[in-house]
Amino acid sequence: MAEEKSNAHSMFNVQVDGVWHQFPKGTRVIEACAQAGVYVPRYCYHKKLSSPGNCRMCLIEMGMPRMGPDRKPELGADGKPIINWMARPQICCAQDVAEGMGVRTNSPLVEECRKGVMEFLLINHPLDCPICDQAGECELQEFSVEYGAAGSRFLENKVKKPKAVQLGPRVTLDDERCILCSRCVRFCNEIAKDDVLGFVDRGSHTVLTAHPGTRLENNYSLNTVDLCPVGALTSTDFRFKMRVWFLKETKSICTSCATGCNTLIGTREDIVYRQTPRENDDVNSCWMCDYGRLNFKYLEAENRILEPKIFDGEELTSIDWKSAIGHAALQLRQFSGWNIAIIASGRMTNEELWLTRKIADLLGVRYIDIVPRFGEGDDILLSKHRNPNATGARLILGLDEGPGAKLSAIAQAVRSGEIRVLLALGENPLNLGISAEQLTNMSAFVAMDILSNAANEHATVLLPASGFAEKRGSMINGKGRLQRLNRAVRPPGNARDDWEILRDLLQALGGSNGIYMIEDVFRQMSAEIPPFADLTLSKIGDLGVHVMKVDESPRPPTEPKAKDIEQAEKSRPTGR
Amino acid sequence: MDSTSTRVPAELERRMDEAIGHYPPDEKRSAALPLLHLWQEHFDFINDDAVTWIAAKLGLQPINILELVTFYPMLREKCAGKMHIRVCRTLSCAMAGSYQVMENFCAATGIQRKTAGDGIHAPISVSADGNLSIEFVECLASCGTAPVCMVNDKLHENVDPNSVVDLSENRESRIVNRPEPHPLEHRIIFKNIGRKNWKTDIKTYLDDGGYDDLRKAIKMSRTDIVNEVKTSGLRGRGGAGFPCGVKWSFIKPDEKKPVYLICNADESEPGTFKDRYIIHEDPHQLLEGIAISCFALRARTAYIYIRGEFPEGAKILERAIEEAHEHNFLGRNILGSGFDVDVYIHRGAGAYICGEETGLIESLEGKRAYPRIKPPYFPAVLGLYMCPTIVNNVETLCAVKHIIAMGGAKYAQLGRPNNTGTRIVCVSGDVERPGYFEIEVGKVTMGQLIYEMAGGIKWGRRLKAVIPGGSSAKVLRADERFKLKQKQPDGSTIEADLSIDELPMDFDSLAAAGSMAGSGGVIVLDDSRDMVWVLNNINEFYAHESCGQCTPCREGSLWMKKITERMLDGGGVTEDPRTLKTIGDNIAGRTICAFGEACAWPTQSFVEKFPEEFARHARKSIPPPLPPEYTPEELTERDHIPTSPLARDPGWEKAGADAVI
Repeated sequence: MAEEKSNAHSMFNVQVDGVWHQFPKGTRVIEACAQAGVYVPRYCYHKKLSSPGNCRMCLIEMGMPRMGPDRKPELGADGKPIINWMARPQICCAQDVAEGMGVRTNSPLVEECRKGVMEFLLINHPLDCPICDQAGECELQEFSVEYGAAGSRFLENKVKKPKAVQLGPRVTLDDERCILCSRCVRFCNEIAKDDVLGFVDRGSHTVLTAHPGTRLENNYSLNTVDLCPVGALTSTDFRFKMRVWFLKETKSICTSCATGCNTLIGTREDIVYRQTPRENDDVNSCWMCDYGRLNFKYLEAENRILEPKIFDGEELTSIDWKSAIGHAALQLRQFSGWNIAIIASGRMTNEELWLTRKIADLLGVRYIDIVPRFGEGDDILLSKHRNPNATGARLILGLDEGPGAKLSAIAQAVRSGEIRVLLALGENPLNLGISAEQLTNMSAFVAMDILSNAANEHATVLLPASGFAEKRGSMINGKGRLQRLNRAVRPPGNARDDWEILRDLLQALGGSNGIYMIEDVFRQMSAEIPPFADLTLSKIGDLGVHVMKVDESPRPPTEPKAKDIEQAEKSRPTGR
Repeated sequence: MDSTSTRVPAELERRMDEAIGHYPPDEKRSAALPLLHLWQEHFDFINDDAVTWIAAKLGLQPINILELVTFYPMLREKCAGKMHIRVCRTLSCAMAGSYQVMENFCAATGIQRKTAGDGIHAPISVSADGNLSIEFVECLASCGTAPVCMVNDKLHENVDPNSVVDLSENRESRIVNRPEPHPLEHRIIFKNIGRKNWKTDIKTYLDDGGYDDLRKAIKMSRTDIVNEVKTSGLRGRGGAGFPCGVKWSFIKPDEKKPVYLICNADESEPGTFKDRYIIHEDPHQLLEGIAISCFALRARTAYIYIRGEFPEGAKILERAIEEAHEHNFLGRNILGSGFDVDVYIHRGAGAYICGEETGLIESLEGKRAYPRIKPPYFPAVLGLYMCPTIVNNVETLCAVKHIIAMGGAKYAQLGRPNNTGTRIVCVSGDVERPGYFEIEVGKVTMGQLIYEMAGGIKWGRRLKAVIPGGSSAKVLRADERFKLKQKQPDGSTIEADLSIDELPMDFDSLAAAGSMAGSGGVIVLDDSRDMVWVLNNINEFYAHESCGQCTPCREGSLWMKKITERMLDGGGVTEDPRTLKTIGDNIAGRTICAFGEACAWPTQSFVEKFPEEFARHARKSIPPPLPPEYTPEELTERDHIPTSPLARDPGWEKAGADAVI
């Protein structure tokens, strides 16, 4: 009851375009309008940044209740307060709602204001839309449709400004397109904590720039490109590669660290062109780091494995999938228990890990672990844990001693000859202190991987798997949030989705049947793994579900030695 | 800090450290402008070493300093001559021949004159031997003695455009003698300006009864002082005319945060030159006003933000502050009252926008002078360093001293109701005796001011127009009639039909006449003036001074200037006057600060009131840009688009109009 009362107290009645709504205290007027179904055009305002109120696009009419002599609002015939409208238009991006406030977003004055601002923004703009990368997702274009003039009244010379400025290694700036909204400046200052951008000169000649001796090279620089409402800041990587309206956008997550930033993968005809962050306030707000964003080039690397292969005694030769799986099963079944090791990966999805565990259980495997992966983290988004799903691996594989704890024992057992068969899933045994010679001396070395490397050329069976953008599945990020990967492109060549490979292998080994779709895998998991209870893949939704506290996880990952980190990092696929 | 190649002398660094000490320890960024000034005084210009060195010194990023160097035109990135001349380009000086000064000087000394710079600022032209350099600057706030130049730090008044070479030979200020007060004047604040044997030292001031009002004030309660100011009806003299007492009462008596008082001495509205004289000739009056105000507001720190173009004024004030400290009018426990107050000088660097109070605060915080949005950043709540801050004009603060002296009620009897007290009106332009006049507000008419006090129109010409409150005020045409509601002594109101000569010089009358009293700068234009030329000069000022933060003013101010410039060059097209007016309409009222109005009002009013002159400059007709085939409205309403038969479909033509396909 008390809670209800305080709620009632903190809700304000606000009239938007003639209709009364209620909004919680502290709601920005521009957001209140959005909640009421009215999108107010804006350039400088961004809900995650401070409001400078400089673009003047969000001017609306605003009013407050007319107060009677008793200092109480006067009520009209409808029992609602009579509003005193202010003579001047007001910006709605910097003010919070107040009780009895009135807002008009569609009056002739508002329309006139928007048309005026639109004209001003475009007079010195180069209007080079045909060759501009932002075309198609440019807010100047967007609002020009509603508020732009068909012709220009501007007869003068435009202000000349620098073009194609390399602000840093990843961001290119066209100052003539810049509308000086300062979103990028505020982002660098407020979010990236790297105050490198600023305005120089004055008035209409104002130019966005960095000091000549400093560069925009922080790990979040590409977010300025997302924030830029126009074509001023462009990604040097994506620039001139693809018209954005041809891109298919797939909701997914970034797999470059344990944060699991929510993303949109932009693709056309099975080629990934870019990744952009997707808003999720529980994970990454509206941002992602450049490292994760650009870490997709390896999907098209030269050394991508495109065919399943077996070692025919002389070399690796391509073979059909059915035979490859058959060979793998045959080789694995020669041994059991302590003679087999499975090196799984913290980059595998929960579904893949689950099937791996089933395989391990079937063969009685004890030597099973994942490879921890560490790098330098920051206080923003990038985690020092670079495996996207180490939490899921600990949970599903039951790595009680922490990920990586058994690796040295596995290497030792390989050296001693105890382990005769090795199943490496997306990891390179050479990085774990196992030599190439030892690999060749194995009875069998079954490798499932994306790229060929010095280790898997010694494989007896090589299974081409899929990259993060090519597969479906779920992962648990470092904070215990279950999130979904979605397939944006098809895997190249004859590569297959990892879970299907593992499912086929499991069946070939005589394991469980009845798995036809990835949903079936998840259903099995939800029956046996408590944090997944009552969940299905579709119930996870686009924004994920918090399934476990991190401290509930079996054990925090053991810090590996510096040498291990170095080696693990070397194994990071880059493809660049 | 050793990465720079320039060696900073120990003495310079000591002075820099002293400057940093003027600001709270957490707000070192405020010292950016002072440090840049010190650097430029020593090294002549700001190079990249300066940017990185100062940034490191203040714990900032280099871009933070670079932003300032390029924003403030007084800071230069290239070497100037040993003798650097700044020629005022703005309206009153331009009317008095400052463009000839520039041309003749360059011709006489052989300086190759640059006409365009890299950005918005006017270029500096340097002589071949590097000894001399010259540049155009915007208003130097001495419009009454136009044209004026600054030779290094010294002001030269009434420069003769026909004998300019002596500019480069005379390193001392050339100040013109001030005339005696006019009988119609009522001098309170300007009592000592131009007074015989008057000096700026504290002894002269004390002998004249100086600081007695401070002694009186510290025995009063603070609420009483605020109430006296409220009773006085004093309205701000900076331009907006906001009631001072009301502004002061926004400060809570039990305020926990530090309260700051800022004296706005960034006098830069073209046509205004009153604060200059107070600062240069009667600095202790200002300090006394500041001390009283600080005491009333519980502000322990006051900053005097003085425009960069007053280097001598800054020195005079600094000396005066020292003297006041020695006499314990400032400093710890002033006059045994238990109240501490420190006053510091903060120099601007040539940006008109710093006269806007929140722009000033940003500038004082060491940033580009981008005015803040209100709400939420009302200075009295979230001002300097996000603390409650009162920003008052020089003249306003001086008036406070006299309100304490005579009492608020008595002060309120001066002038007219709601327009109380005296104010200094500055007359410049085409009058015989331009200058300052302290009048009771509203007790003098425009006619008296122009014809009696300022000696009438120059060379027997006739009045064409008056800009009554600084160049941003809307122009008044000489033959206009003004319908004003006037309160009679019996309380009734009558509508008076007044000519421009009969307009009383007060806030309300000028507002009712469709303009404003603004900062009190009256610019008189005679019948020889081309109004397009005048407007272009004003537009150039505002285009240069727009801070560039918000869209309408940034883009609109330069656009308007480009149009008027083209009209003057003979390229005016018939659409231009209309375009000018709509640009003004699209700026005014839609910007963060009042600069939007300031830059739009001249254009709106000039075009409206002098249509015949604008039409004369706008005779060309341009072939209009090809109209789009369909307007957006037509495209969205399909019915409007006429369907045409497919040109190359013979079947269609054969089938005829009745065909059904």
